[in-house]
Amino acid sequence: MAAVPEPDEPAKRKPFKLLGILDVENIPCARDSILYGSLGSVVAGFGHFLLTSRIRRSCDVGVGGFILVTLGCWFHCRYNYAKQKIQQRITRQGMKNKLLYEGTHLDPERKQNNGNSSN
Amino acid sequence: MAAPAQLGLQNAASPIMEELIAFHDHALMIIFLISSLVLYIISLMLTTKLTHTSTMNAQEIEMIWTILPAMILIMIALPSLRILYMTDEFNKPYLTLKAIGHQWYWSYEYSDYEDLAFDSYIMPTYFLEPGEFRLLEVDNRTTLPMEADIRVLISSQDVLHSWAVPSLGVKTDAIPGRLNQAMVASMRPGLYYGQCSEICGSNHSFMPIVLEFIYFQDFEVWASYLYI
Repeated sequence: MAAVPEPDEPAKRKPFKLLGILDVENIPCARDSILYGSLGSVVAGFGHFLLTSRIRRSCDVGVGGFILVTLGCWFHCRYNYAKQKIQQRITRQGMKNKLLYEGTHLDPERKQNNGNSSN
Repeated sequence: MAAPAQLGLQNAASPIMEELIAFHDHALMIIFLISSLVLYIISLMLTTKLTHTSTMNAQEIEMIWTILPAMILIMIALPSLRILYMTDEFNKPYLTLKAIGHQWYWSYEYSDYEDLAFDSYIMPTYFLEPGEFRLLEVDNRTTLPMEADIRVLISSQDVLHSWAVPSLGVKTDAIPGRLNQAMVASMRPGLYYGQCSEICGSNHSFMPIVLEFIYFQDFEVWASYLYI
């Protein structure tokens, strides 16, 4: 929920959206994917032009490269982001359990130490 | 709740809503790439001097523009179905809440304990305190414990309504004579706002929903006060 801005706070500017739909500022991995895609597009298109000197075909290769590189970076980044979120959730839960159960019979570290000592 | 003139989704307060936001980002990226491709093709069509008026067949392009959209649809459908089945998962709920739609207010019943029930009417604008939200506040908020799976049974006393809380990713129709089930779980304490989402008469826009998620201990204290 957005709070009402205080008088001395700078006014929030409108988020920038590519083609009016993709909010690259707030969607995780969007900015990186678009930037890598643009770089891939330039490299593929320009490289094709240097090899073949065909302008229109090089533009087509550039657009194709943009789509493929953007999609590839997007999936890779989102996969790592999802893994990171899961690990954060597990860590947060583990910290909470340690605080709650430390010193009690439910303490997971106590159970683990008992298991190690019996071995 | 939404900020003024907000078009995007609200921040997620439940794991399901987090998944929905991730899926929305995924679908939006695919839409963006398809739109870019289409805009580029349009620009090519408008700037070419080449014409071919006697095309009889074009097997290769036909193959491409059949298989590629099929693959795109599969890429969208698989995560969508995963979330669909995830929303239908019912773990053992800690609490059951009945939300019943009326014209034009919601009533809530906590039948797990003894008969705890109350009505939740919109707070009229002239009764609002400074800082409260117009057309969103209610006289009795629905208090629930956080970090617990809560089953909500939704029905209606008269006409169709819909119980929706966007930040929890839940929207379920309230149909007279039918009980619909939804699972709600909040990861954080706080206030979560929603509004009736099925046209139900003149005051359809004036029957909001406010869920107040609090810690377990505070919830037990709140529940015990209702008996007094």
